[in-house]
Amino acid sequence: MSRFFHGDSSSDSSSDEEELYSGDEATKAAEAESSEEDSSENEGDDSDSSSDDEGGKTGASRFLREASDDSDEEDEDKVTVVKSAKDKRFDELEGTIRLLENAQKISDWNALNENYDRMNRQLPTLQRDLDGKAPKMYIKSIAQLETQVMEAFEKQKVTPKKMNPIAQKSMNALRQKIRKNNKEYMTDLEAYRKDPEEFMKEDVVEETAPAPKKPKKKLLDNDTTLDANDEGFTMVGAGGKAMIYTPESILKHLRTILEARGRKNTDRLEQIKIMERLLDVAVTDYQRIRVLLMLIATRFDLTSGTGSQMSQEQWKLAQQGIAQLLDILEEHEEIVVVDSGAENPEDDEKAPEPSIKGVLEIPGSVPSFVERLDDELTRVLQSIDPHTAEYVERLQDEPSLYSNLVRAMLYTERLKANDKLTVPQPQESINRVIMRRLEHLYFKPASVVTVLEEGTWKSVPETLDSKITPRSEGTDINNLVQTLAVYLFKNAEGIIRARAMLCQIYFLALHDQYYKSRDMMLMSHLQDTIASFDVNTQILFNRTLTQVGLCAFRQGLVYECQTALQDICGSQRQKELLAQGLQIQRYSQITPEQERLERQRQLPFHMHINLELLECVYLTCSMLLEIPTLAQAGSSPELRKRVISKSYRRMLEYHERQIFTGPPENTRDHVMQASKALAAGEWKKASDFILSIKIWELLPDSEGIKAMLGQQIQEEGLRTYLFTYAPFYDTLQVTKLAEMFELGQQKVTALVSKMIHHEELAAALDQVNGAIIFRKGVELSRLQSLALTLSDKASGLIESNERVLEQRTQGTANAFERQGGRGGRGGRGGRGGGRGRGGSGFASRGGGGQGGGQQFTGGALGSAIRAQ
Amino acid sequence: MDTSSPSVLPKLLPYLDRHLVFPLLNFLEEDIPEDQDTTEIAKLKYGLLKDTNMSDFVGDLYAQLHDLPERPAEYTKKREEVLEQLHKYEEETQKIQDLLQDADVVNNLRSDKESNMKYLKDTHDVTPAMVEQLYDMGQFQYSMGDYESASETLYRYRILSVDNEKVNAATWGKLASDILTTNWDVAVEEINKLKESIDSRLLNNPLAQLEHRTWLIHWSLFPFFNHEPAREVLTELFFSPAYINTIQVSCPWILRYLTAAVITNRSRPGNKTNYLYGNYQKQLKDLVRIVRQEQYEYSDPVTAFVKALYVDFDFEEAQKRLSEADEILRSDFFLAASADSFLDAARHLISESYCKIHQRIDIKDLSMRLGLSSDEGEKWIVNLIRDTRVDAKIDYQAGTVIMNHPPMSVYQQVIERTKGAFFRTQVLSAAVAK
Repeated sequence: MSRFFHGDSSSDSSSDEEELYSGDEATKAAEAESSEEDSSENEGDDSDSSSDDEGGKTGASRFLREASDDSDEEDEDKVTVVKSAKDKRFDELEGTIRLLENAQKISDWNALNENYDRMNRQLPTLQRDLDGKAPKMYIKSIAQLETQVMEAFEKQKVTPKKMNPIAQKSMNALRQKIRKNNKEYMTDLEAYRKDPEEFMKEDVVEETAPAPKKPKKKLLDNDTTLDANDEGFTMVGAGGKAMIYTPESILKHLRTILEARGRKNTDRLEQIKIMERLLDVAVTDYQRIRVLLMLIATRFDLTSGTGSQMSQEQWKLAQQGIAQLLDILEEHEEIVVVDSGAENPEDDEKAPEPSIKGVLEIPGSVPSFVERLDDELTRVLQSIDPHTAEYVERLQDEPSLYSNLVRAMLYTERLKANDKLTVPQPQESINRVIMRRLEHLYFKPASVVTVLEEGTWKSVPETLDSKITPRSEGTDINNLVQTLAVYLFKNAEGIIRARAMLCQIYFLALHDQYYKSRDMMLMSHLQDTIASFDVNTQILFNRTLTQVGLCAFRQGLVYECQTALQDICGSQRQKELLAQGLQIQRYSQITPEQERLERQRQLPFHMHINLELLECVYLTCSMLLEIPTLAQAGSSPELRKRVISKSYRRMLEYHERQIFTGPPENTRDHVMQASKALAAGEWKKASDFILSIKIWELLPDSEGIKAMLGQQIQEEGLRTYLFTYAPFYDTLQVTKLAEMFELGQQKVTALVSKMIHHEELAAALDQVNGAIIFRKGVELSRLQSLALTLSDKASGLIESNERVLEQRTQGTANAFERQGGRGGRGGRGGRGGGRGRGGSGFASRGGGGQGGGQQFTGGALGSAIRAQ
Repeated sequence: MDTSSPSVLPKLLPYLDRHLVFPLLNFLEEDIPEDQDTTEIAKLKYGLLKDTNMSDFVGDLYAQLHDLPERPAEYTKKREEVLEQLHKYEEETQKIQDLLQDADVVNNLRSDKESNMKYLKDTHDVTPAMVEQLYDMGQFQYSMGDYESASETLYRYRILSVDNEKVNAATWGKLASDILTTNWDVAVEEINKLKESIDSRLLNNPLAQLEHRTWLIHWSLFPFFNHEPAREVLTELFFSPAYINTIQVSCPWILRYLTAAVITNRSRPGNKTNYLYGNYQKQLKDLVRIVRQEQYEYSDPVTAFVKALYVDFDFEEAQKRLSEADEILRSDFFLAASADSFLDAARHLISESYCKIHQRIDIKDLSMRLGLSSDEGEKWIVNLIRDTRVDAKIDYQAGTVIMNHPPMSVYQQVIERTKGAFFRTQVLSAAVAK
């Protein structure tokens, strides 16, 4: 690819508009490339046939034309500042050439070689200044050099006297380089060799007298003549910009644009301008749709890179374009845009005929457009700092996007119902649009969704209605989400189905329907398979799980909350798991590629779950569970090993190691100090610490939650107190306890009863005196407790052996029956009992009662995760 | 779900056959005091049965509803038709019926249905169509209310038919017939058969499996509470993972019956032996767990009693729930018979955990909690001490019971834990060797 090639094609001027407007650019880019090639060739490859060929073809005549062309363009680009810089470079080159000449004179091959390289390095910039042409003096010097090297080489061959080996080596290298390099400048060299005087003179002339002709104009003229030949196109306007676009030519233009699409160096903005104008002149709906389809696609093409985002203006225009497209489609039922089954007619001349059933099908995909629109907005939001006004401003575009989504959904729905199409439309496109819609709803509170829905239905024409989500039912948001999700359960599969399920669970959890969401979560069995889904779905799963946990907390279900949040919050990787910011990697293990992907996955800020609140909730729950457990474990190392929340324990230990503790500053400090107070039995202090955390205000009904927390602290405080101080009491009055913890006597009795019944507390109640009597002498010696542990382990061993055997034999071995059933081992394998006995047909009447298989699994419905 | 109305009848009905609903309605009718109007129920009955072939009875009901002196003529006519139809069926199936009563033929039948069919075809000219006739006839008899014959006919059909779908339907029909003829032993057999067929046949269709299990659970309530030996088997069945899941997912109201069954199981004789008692404890534990899990879905006084006693340890609340539960039990078709034993067993449970927790108990207070008078209460406690061998003494003067809870010795604990180990290891090694 030599620079001549490009220069030629532009002056040959096919009517390509693209070339026309980007000609300059193209040549420059080509030059950069060619100069790169130069240097790479200099490295020492011997052969380069392609450039050889091209060089051969382009004869002297070409060179001449090229020269004139170049000079034309040159003077366009010439600016005074550039000139001085250019001069400097010329001076440099001159200096190098002088050095070369000196070296030639003394036949210092080494210096020659070096200087030759240097000169070649300087060349590219100079060439750029001269618009791709090598400076004359360069040509002159390489020509001289070549002759000298040739001579020296020939001489070397005949004279037996050896050269200095270093010089010999340098000379050989130089010869190779020159031979290769000079091929590039063959034409110039020939011109020079023919008439050195003339060649050098020309240079001077060029530089002093710029040609007045404007190449652009010439090219355009060229273009218009071509156009004029074609269907009587005429050209108006002196600027050469405004061409007349007639309705007949629209399709032709579109075809040109389509062909240019995806190529390098197409000016998309220009194309958009053309298409906007085309849209104005379009008369039929068919034409309008065709133009719009193309226009919208091109707008999206503007930002194809991963780093760039769509500007608000372009985004809005695209959005309006889609709205306009939908307008037309909604108005004219007989025209449809379909994903499959339609093809653009080859012949642009005549208007397309509707199919036999009276429907005009145009290829294109409305769902893809709205999806892309959605993606673009997300990308923009990802990149904007969420605390700026700009973020809010862009977020305000969401309603219009949502209304587009709904309308696209209505449209696809109609398409699906339309039986006049040649190819029935796939279910998938509806699913995709509905999924998008659901994804815009699930994380919003009902009140927000109501407003959004109302606004949307207002923007949709009155005549349209949806079968899936009828207009009349639009106000009931719970119902809406349910309907959308259920539709997807029924009609979609795989990831979309799972996502729909998760969205619904999230929505339910957000609206305080804990049990419903939890049951759905368990029934989905997603926790088993989630690892095989894509990362985005996994993130959604994490979000949902977190939301269910928070919901449990709002309901006062501390244990459930802690278990739900354990995986997310215990890992110290909340940010990463919820895609709410990049984790700072201390030991950077991820590649930039991974990091880029992760950046793409980030959720926009308005979808975030408040991480600080999350941490606060998790720590508080862990405290309420851990402190009594720690107190119960006392000094026994075995029990102490039973850890509920590792991260909490770690923090607690860290906190305890501190010598001085100041007043709490952040949420974590608050919880830690509260834990300490609670462990010491000072529930009031603990309660004060917890309740003074500011972040509770973010929760709806914060007063209720505080009251709930206060009560939980009282109860757990009582339990902790009993565990910690039981050894120091003989008897303890219930009323006294009730007073201490400000709980009702009834409540205290119930709590103590529970502890006694579960054998957590070695005590009994004295009903007559209303006292708790602690039993003495139940503390075990070390040997005794070790013996107990040993026996526990032994029975654990037997149990695991049995389990292994059971698995091996698939539960068919009826050999042993277990008593004392354990809790759930997961809902799986529940129906194993019936297997392998289907054959006992009818004739064996009366023999049916042969036991119901083995009932090892006492668990109900995925009880592994269920609270129990 | 629905705590305002104590009756779960409306929830049960969708899962029962119309013939099975009839006894429930009858019970409801009996429950209503004499002086009140029963037309509502009669109307219900009429609506229930008017599509069946029990023309006599339906005609009577119609007459009763419309104050007619006798059945309208259309019912008499229908009766004729029905009889005629029946006659026709009988004629058609005469041959095969005779064959099946012939001992020689029956002796030649094997367990393989295909070969049976072949044998009958070769030797006695029995066609598949004739077998199908049997099915239709069984259905017709059932619809007429002639459950005994229906049961017999369907049984015969099942021997011969190779059509699995229909055999299954016939099994359901036979179960209903057996229930209505109060033939419990057979009914329990049928339940087992159905259970197996649900497990094996519908393996690939979880939804249908769930539905069928729900049906089965509801139907088996009949033998459950009317047939003593069935109870143990059915409790086991209900507690098996598949069925407890079904209960939790689709019919949590069954928990009431399960709770009642578990609690009453206690007072049954023979439970004192160690193994069964342990089983009982296990069931109770499972029950508490499930009741607790499901309390947001379903709660009634019966389950609330369990919750108050074992989750909250609130004895007063338990007492209150118990009296409410008693009322409910007495007005429930299935549970009415076991109301007394439920009350008794529930008291046992209360006093058991009460004694476990307390060291010194005021007899008066305890009696009150058990809903008994002071004297009765004392007697109760004496019985309790004797029966369960609790280490307790009555301080007559102070009117208290003093419980002695010797702390379990640590050596005892170790022995307890390792007791079963040897046996289990043996079983294990035997199983491996097999």
